[in-house]
Amino acid sequence: MRRDFLKRCAVAGLGLTVPHKTLSATDEKLELPPYEGPYYLVFNASGGWDTTCLMDPKGTGRINRLYTKDQILTHGIHRFAPTAQHKEKGLSNEDFYNEFGNEMLVLNGLDYSVNNHSPCSRYMATGKLDSLAYPTFAALVAACQGASCPLSFLTFGNYSATGNLVAKARVPYLSSLKRIANSDSIEGNSKSPYHDDFALDRIEQALQQQQKDRAAQTRLPRRRHAENMLYSAQLNSKALRRVTPHIPKQIPKARLAQQAEIALASFKAGVCVSANLSIGQFDSHANNDADQMRLIPEFLEGIAYALHRAEELQIRNKVVVIVQSEMGRTPDYNKGNGKDHWSIGSIVFLGAGIEGNRVIGETNEQQFALPLDPKTLKTVDDNGIRVRPEHIHQALRQFAGIADHAYSQQFPLGVKKSERLTNLWENPANNPE
Amino acid sequence: MLTANRILTSVESCLLAAFCIFVTPVAARVACASEPVSCPAIDDKEFDRFFSDELWPKVGRAECVKCHKLAGDAEDTRFLLKDLSRLTKKERPAALRANQDAFVRMAHQQYEGLSLLLVKASGGKDHGGQEVLKPGTARYQILQNFVRRSSDPNSPAGAASVSAVDPESLFEGIAMLEDHRVLRRATLSLAGRLPTKEELESLAERPSIQVTKVGVPNIASAASKRIAFVGILDKMLCEEAFYKRLREGFNDIFLTVGVDGNPDQTVLSYEHFDKTRGWYQKYDLSHIADEKERREAGYKLAREYRAALLGEPMRLVEHIVRNDRPFTEIVTANYIMVTPYTARGYGCFDELKERFKNTDDAFEYIPVRLKALQGRRESENQDSRTGFYPHAGLLSTFQYLSRYPTTETNRNRLRARMYYEHFLGVDVLELAARVSDAAAVTAKFENPTMQASECVVCHKTLDPVAGLFRNFWRFDRNSALYGKREEGWFTDMFDTGFEGTALPQSDQWRALQWLGEQTAADPRFARTMVGHAYYLLTGRRPLLPPQSLDDPFYDARSQAYHAQQHEIDAIVTSFAAAKFNFKIAIKDWVLSDYYRADGLTKPVDSPERMAALDDIGIVRLLSPEQLERKVTAIFGRPSGRLQGQTTMLYGGIDSKEVTERAVDPSGAMGAIQRTLANDVACRNVALDFSRKKTERILFPDIEPDAVPGESAATDQKIRAAIIHLHQHVLGRVDDEASIEVMRTFDLFAGVIADAHKSGRFEETEKWSCRQGLEKPVPDPQYTVRAWRAVLTYLLRQHEFLYE
Repeated sequence: MRRDFLKRCAVAGLGLTVPHKTLSATDEKLELPPYEGPYYLVFNASGGWDTTCLMDPKGTGRINRLYTKDQILTHGIHRFAPTAQHKEKGLSNEDFYNEFGNEMLVLNGLDYSVNNHSPCSRYMATGKLDSLAYPTFAALVAACQGASCPLSFLTFGNYSATGNLVAKARVPYLSSLKRIANSDSIEGNSKSPYHDDFALDRIEQALQQQQKDRAAQTRLPRRRHAENMLYSAQLNSKALRRVTPHIPKQIPKARLAQQAEIALASFKAGVCVSANLSIGQFDSHANNDADQMRLIPEFLEGIAYALHRAEELQIRNKVVVIVQSEMGRTPDYNKGNGKDHWSIGSIVFLGAGIEGNRVIGETNEQQFALPLDPKTLKTVDDNGIRVRPEHIHQALRQFAGIADHAYSQQFPLGVKKSERLTNLWENPANNPE
Repeated sequence: MLTANRILTSVESCLLAAFCIFVTPVAARVACASEPVSCPAIDDKEFDRFFSDELWPKVGRAECVKCHKLAGDAEDTRFLLKDLSRLTKKERPAALRANQDAFVRMAHQQYEGLSLLLVKASGGKDHGGQEVLKPGTARYQILQNFVRRSSDPNSPAGAASVSAVDPESLFEGIAMLEDHRVLRRATLSLAGRLPTKEELESLAERPSIQVTKVGVPNIASAASKRIAFVGILDKMLCEEAFYKRLREGFNDIFLTVGVDGNPDQTVLSYEHFDKTRGWYQKYDLSHIADEKERREAGYKLAREYRAALLGEPMRLVEHIVRNDRPFTEIVTANYIMVTPYTARGYGCFDELKERFKNTDDAFEYIPVRLKALQGRRESENQDSRTGFYPHAGLLSTFQYLSRYPTTETNRNRLRARMYYEHFLGVDVLELAARVSDAAAVTAKFENPTMQASECVVCHKTLDPVAGLFRNFWRFDRNSALYGKREEGWFTDMFDTGFEGTALPQSDQWRALQWLGEQTAADPRFARTMVGHAYYLLTGRRPLLPPQSLDDPFYDARSQAYHAQQHEIDAIVTSFAAAKFNFKIAIKDWVLSDYYRADGLTKPVDSPERMAALDDIGIVRLLSPEQLERKVTAIFGRPSGRLQGQTTMLYGGIDSKEVTERAVDPSGAMGAIQRTLANDVACRNVALDFSRKKTERILFPDIEPDAVPGESAATDQKIRAAIIHLHQHVLGRVDDEASIEVMRTFDLFAGVIADAHKSGRFEETEKWSCRQGLEKPVPDPQYTVRAWRAVLTYLLRQHEFLYE
């Protein structure tokens, strides 16, 4: 049945080309309506974070040298490692949990199945280990909910495949946003357009007519796809002018904050659906503790910065945050005081539609994942599942309301119904209806 | 202390990849196990086809051969297969037959009433690779069919029928570009220019034909045309612009300009070049009196020195191609390329200065064999039996080793992984299969990479090659690249060597040279280089075989894959016959249907057919560098709009963090396209009208006083001007009555009409658009601005922005 469906999609052009919204001639002078959320921010701790230094503390000498078991802290339901004494810069776990703990949903004991950067990054980002074709969740949700947005899927690094569903936009600097905001004006000065309005309108109309004519012609799939993407990119780029009012006068220095500003300004302008934010160097094969204590506080500070700015821009209630890494670190220190790759880790969610102050899943004292009952979300001795990225992605697709979208069906995750994480996003006990 | 090495994306302690069929020695309960099992004589072409088209690609190649091959984890079992990817086209049929026989032998062995082949594949009878095929899955069914048919060749193929697609027919119904358009595509892509009049004329003299595999109408004409085309290509591939494109294209693959930090410190190590690498700091610039100028000259010196260092690996590629040397030298060349500046850094300038034409030219590269490295301490001196550095093409360059560094725990595995990807076309991490509990596997074994079958499957291949980099075992910034591990190389890794062949003791000092020799002799090398040529021309890597049998378009994708492999085989043959002259690979691709395919001759309503054609056609979004060259070729000067930050914004790469070029335009790129079109039109329309007619590029046969609607003759003149613009800017040859010419005419006329309707407009172009004119160009009728609108429209089109 799925095969038939996909075949029908292919005939209709889905999967081979992106069916962008084609504006009519009457619409031509209008601007693309702003996308109004929800907005998805995916934070990546690239290189593999040490979850025992954050949301899955152990406190035993073999696993953690920075603190002991009795020093593990709590906030509501959460248990976390103390870092205030160990960090030099950035935000401590204490401060982060204090501010956001009530909103945070943590899933511990996530099984990445493999422990190499490249496949792990791919798996974590797409929910599919054995394919190079799958889109990341950020790209998929952008394609499903706002493919026409000029910066629909922004990426600043990490695995960013799109499955040919949507273009990935790289905007490395805030100043770049200004540069592209008024592309029909000389040196970006809106008071000095290249063409008189009537001439520009004629150009747009001619391009639109050409696109329409060509769409009706017989074309090779690649050519058809490329022409659609090109037309859409140019037409919708006009909406970028809405971004400039939201670019801050002061450009922050921190790398994650800079990325967040670009993403948030684009969200606020309604030209972006999702953004992949990333900082690297978590791969702490030598001196694990020093590295993690430098990077985790920087990472948390970046997330907090994004949430504060979202508040200021009045879009905080529409922002969904996913915080992840492609792997964890081993329970043991190696000879260089580092930690190597570990296939068990954690993921954090917070924001619009996510019930916080919750921890799902766990690892044992040796940092092995415990099986989970997907219905009750409790750890069990047997008959549970190992929660893997495809389970998370299936849940994310459900959460975003795109699980049944043609694009999602084009990239199935193969999670059995019985294995789906029921009630991951909200606790039914708190929401009896 | 933190080192930059730790940020690398690496192959670490455990590679958990695909499971395989490990056949342990057959036990007593297995029927006939004590006797040698002979191969049953099955002479059935249908059965052979079932094996070659169905079982082998979907089961044998996809799963079994990963381990059941020489140097594989199951090499000690009776079920030993031949890895076809390591064989030449000529050798493959016999090897495929041998594999078929091996499968048949296994199929006929019984274990508890079932074929041992099925038992092992499903994880029974202590199969080392555990469960490879789940009973009931499509792959398992194919194996079941094979087992049944191996006993009864007349039994039906079953549900999983033999694929009926024919790779040869892929290009049926595909419209091919005419010769002059292929030529334009090639000259712009490879030489950054438009075809010359002479080149076009030399093609036009011969009747136009379609060089397709299907229905070539006139063999003599085709041959004549081909000769003419090859002649043009031969000359084109000697142009300087081609070598620039070659360097750029290969850097997209090897990324060697992306070395971290200042290359005079990261490429040239303190341990071996401390006295020479900073030569520029003491360089005598006292002849420059002005202090500011002197300082600027110093900066320029350093900048060019560093750029020259980073450029060395790609200049090696260029040197090999330029001099028609065997392309195998990219792994075997016993020299590197140095310039007067970098020679100073290496400390060999005085010996070489007579060989340079201009010792002040930072970028004059010559081939040089370095002497063996001398360390600050004797222990850091390089082993060498010849007194020279044992160069091995790119492999042993400091840039390649710096770009792909190692760490204490990585143990050169990243380098081995990149080696496989770059030179043998194998991505060892591409499709790692899941493990039921990877953490448990890691914890269970003392040394998982040598003990856990899930890890061994890749490490047995990867680790021996990692060991070949053993003499480059330094990873502290500012220390060195060359250096041995004090305790000797790791004993908890598979022995150093290459795919089952151990590194001879006598070659240890030249281990990378030895690897280069093995590589050059491996058929995968030539295939990979032909694949690189394809990447250079299309921006895409060759297709991978389809993986999922559940994919409704599996057969279609398989057809596309096999057709492309067929073409690659043909090009590999001529590449090898030409002693690995890389230009042959480029030329053969350009002459192939893959480079010419441009459209469909009739509508296609079959989704399978559309899926098979999914990758056909060049249709490549031009990179910022390519686009800038195209602007220069068409308008005689660059736009200047695709530099600095904009390069990255327009999908470019920095060879460090951003290493993949954009394939589809985002809205941000769409905005840049608008700016580019607006600006290039602004700076070229009035300028062109200000030139003498004979020197004009865009408007050689029309003046701004030609207003549409004045007369039929004027309208015809305007249409002719439009046809010229379409041809010059877009490479399109349109008829006067074509819809495209009509549309452009309507745009031109419409803009002028709107201007007049508006009642009032300036009688000159905008100030910004009349800079640098050779003489004033008044615009009383708004025609200059209308032509600018036309050019803007053309520059925003697919034909201009894509290849």
